[in-house]
Amino acid sequence: MHSEIFCHIDTRPGSNIARGALVGKRAAVQACISVQGWPTEAGSAALRGFVAVEDATVVERLRDAGASLVGNTRSCELGFGLLGDGAGKAVAGGHVDVALMTDTMGEARAAAASAGVFGFKPSYGQVSRFGLVGLVPSMDCCSILAKRLGDIEDVFTAIRGGDDRDPSLPDPAPPSLSPSAGPGRRPLSAGVVAQCLHGLSSIERAAFEAALSNLERVGIAVREIPFDKYEFFPVVHNVIGSVEASSSCGKFDGVRYGHRAAGSRNWNEMYLRSRAESFGLPLKAYLFQGACFQFEQYAVFEKACRIRSELVGQSRRLHGEVDVVVSPARRAASDFGRANTVGQLYEAFSLTLPANVTGQPVLTLPGLVTCEGGDLGLQLMGAPFGDELLLGIAGRILQELEGTG
Amino acid sequence: MSMDHEAVIGLEIHVQLNCETKMFCRCPSRPGDEPNRNTCPICLWLPGNLPRFNREALEQAILASLALDCEIQKESAFDQKVYYYPDLPKGYQLSQFHMPLAMNGHLNVTDANGARKTIRIRKVHMEEDVARLVHENEGRTPVSLVDFNRAGMPLVEIVTEPDLRNSGDAMEFLRCLIRQIRYSGSSECSMEQGTMRVDANVSIRPAGSDQFNTKVEIKNMNSIRSVGDAIAYEIERQKECLVDGEPIVLHTRLWDPEKRVTSPMRGKFEGPCVPDPSVPRIVIESEYLDEVRTRLPEMPEQKAQRFVKHYGLTYEDAATMCSERSVSEYFEAVADCGVSSRLAAQWIAGQVLPLLKECDETVSTSRLTPDRLAGLLKMLERDEINSSAAKEILGKLRGSDAPLKVIVESGGFRQVSEADQLEAVVDRVLEENPSAVENFRKGASKALGFLMGQAMQATRGKANPRLLKEIMTRKLG
Repeated sequence: MHSEIFCHIDTRPGSNIARGALVGKRAAVQACISVQGWPTEAGSAALRGFVAVEDATVVERLRDAGASLVGNTRSCELGFGLLGDGAGKAVAGGHVDVALMTDTMGEARAAAASAGVFGFKPSYGQVSRFGLVGLVPSMDCCSILAKRLGDIEDVFTAIRGGDDRDPSLPDPAPPSLSPSAGPGRRPLSAGVVAQCLHGLSSIERAAFEAALSNLERVGIAVREIPFDKYEFFPVVHNVIGSVEASSSCGKFDGVRYGHRAAGSRNWNEMYLRSRAESFGLPLKAYLFQGACFQFEQYAVFEKACRIRSELVGQSRRLHGEVDVVVSPARRAASDFGRANTVGQLYEAFSLTLPANVTGQPVLTLPGLVTCEGGDLGLQLMGAPFGDELLLGIAGRILQELEGTG
Repeated sequence: MSMDHEAVIGLEIHVQLNCETKMFCRCPSRPGDEPNRNTCPICLWLPGNLPRFNREALEQAILASLALDCEIQKESAFDQKVYYYPDLPKGYQLSQFHMPLAMNGHLNVTDANGARKTIRIRKVHMEEDVARLVHENEGRTPVSLVDFNRAGMPLVEIVTEPDLRNSGDAMEFLRCLIRQIRYSGSSECSMEQGTMRVDANVSIRPAGSDQFNTKVEIKNMNSIRSVGDAIAYEIERQKECLVDGEPIVLHTRLWDPEKRVTSPMRGKFEGPCVPDPSVPRIVIESEYLDEVRTRLPEMPEQKAQRFVKHYGLTYEDAATMCSERSVSEYFEAVADCGVSSRLAAQWIAGQVLPLLKECDETVSTSRLTPDRLAGLLKMLERDEINSSAAKEILGKLRGSDAPLKVIVESGGFRQVSEADQLEAVVDRVLEENPSAVENFRKGASKALGFLMGQAMQATRGKANPRLLKEIMTRKLG
């Protein structure tokens, strides 16, 4: 069981500080997140045997808040997809209280939904990327899985905020979490994107409608909202994501670290063979596609960047009209464990990837959207940097749902 | 050879900025240290690291751009220039392709015929340097070693418009550019020491036409001289291609300093440039720019004009005094001690600089401080020493800390200007050399030189030459 979930378990006794919000909490991080002295292979043959020389900022901050680090959970190659990922299982199986994993197209939220736990992807720029062995720098986000919403809030408070080792964080850092940032008692509204609703099967739709009725039952106004160009989200993510991935995987060239193929006659051959042996099939296809946009179809990439700006603008406007945008986190039919081509991955993550394109915060709630296909997860998406408000709204919804039983 | 063709030349100049640290990390910028000493997880590009842009590099890059009269752009950004090579640790180089730091500058040069020309600067952008490859043999196996000390060193690339027409202009342009940038303090600009690299793009066209033909890029020149030689060779080579009806294709050629020819290296490769998502966009506020601008010193051209007006130098002398910022400051310090400025300029150009060059010193490191030189020149002006003594004292002022007075007195350098002392010397010399006196009186003017030499020797070189000659000619009658 462990070996299926963890690729490294810390056997040294922890010397943790006895103070802090996370004292007594057991945490795991995905193998894409650097822990000094631990193998940080990110699920890729490209990094076989690679040992991190420094803690990621999020790891340092977990420890500073008193959490004890149990181990490294298995990861899909460079966090791309969910094949063999261990974070959801580690939390659901009670091996740890919280798990950190990267979310590039919705992996953390999909893992949480599948495992029936809470999953939170913060706003892009709330959490330092230093020490994340990522794939798509403008979309990768360190996310949190836990069985309790309170643990998500505590971990988020511990790991968030400015870091001079990640210059892409906004300056000055957004305000810190405070109770007053919550919604108070004011009436709340939730929006459902029309195209998202229309894309659901009848089974999914029935499960989702049931969740919406529950929200209305506790006084949340739910309405359908139009979203121009919503159908562009997957292709925009696909083009920009693959271009950035192609660049960020350039460092896995076998020159200084990672895997190098034996017996090459010159360095071109060394590159070709090392990289051929390093990457798995879906990632290879993705990188090849990104290189094609870089070298041959640059105008397509530029167009995708322009559409991305429009989509970000649309999202902003929506959040002026509603407090949260809601959707299921996954399709009933999506089997993340089998998605093994770029096309299958984009199909499986179609409901989660918009938030990676826009950088918005999303919380996935378990147990509210269920059908024969299992827990589909209810996604609540907030405004960029509206993380506190979003967590506050989720807290109020859960309280009121419990109150009405 | 066809005389009716002209060359069109543009230059791409890489200049290494004077910075304490590299461009995206805090490693010391000392590429010459023991290999791979100045490295860290960022410049080795280990997984999980992010580039941290360095303000110092920005400041120096702005100064270099201002020195070339460029317009600093309010917004600029870094792109990833993608290509695979072992000297590039991450598969792309961070460079400003789409949004450069500065644009539309210019530099005025004087060509061989004395005509003034304006050479336009298209853009100046920041980029990081790549690692250095060392090719060796281990036994019979060729190996390539990578030294990451240079990886991430801060550079600016300066791109000119194709405004140059011959190799002489290109060399003069480079000399002016070096002077401007060195003045700003942002770089040493030494091709010999590797802080400046120049690539030239050369094409030819019918004289008077305004078309642009296929250009050839030449690399691997290691001095201004070789830039000139390589361009001159390439122009002739292309003219011959034209005569032979050979098409000129876009490619890169290397200058071979031994054989003094350019030879083809590869097709010209232009990799894609993708905006980098991790380095924040650089926004330059006008207050900050004004603040950096105040750090730009008076530039050589204005300074030379001022030297002409204020110190009464000829333009040539003024230009010589302004060739280096440190020299111009040295000259001013000497002239402001109340020495004749023309004398100061002549001595600095003719004596001080050659002497220091010989001893591998600079005006800022030498013991020959402005006040010591000024003291010496004042004695010369007051006829207390003669110029041959002054040259000797100059060497001693450089070689020791002894005060000028002590050197002059202990060396007995004081000029003999007392007439009666000199009369006695002349009498004795004439008495000892009757045949020379005889020759002189027969009209052999050479004899006067000989007698003067004898008299100078008798005073151990300390006689006031003007007075001595006067007495000598009077006595020879």
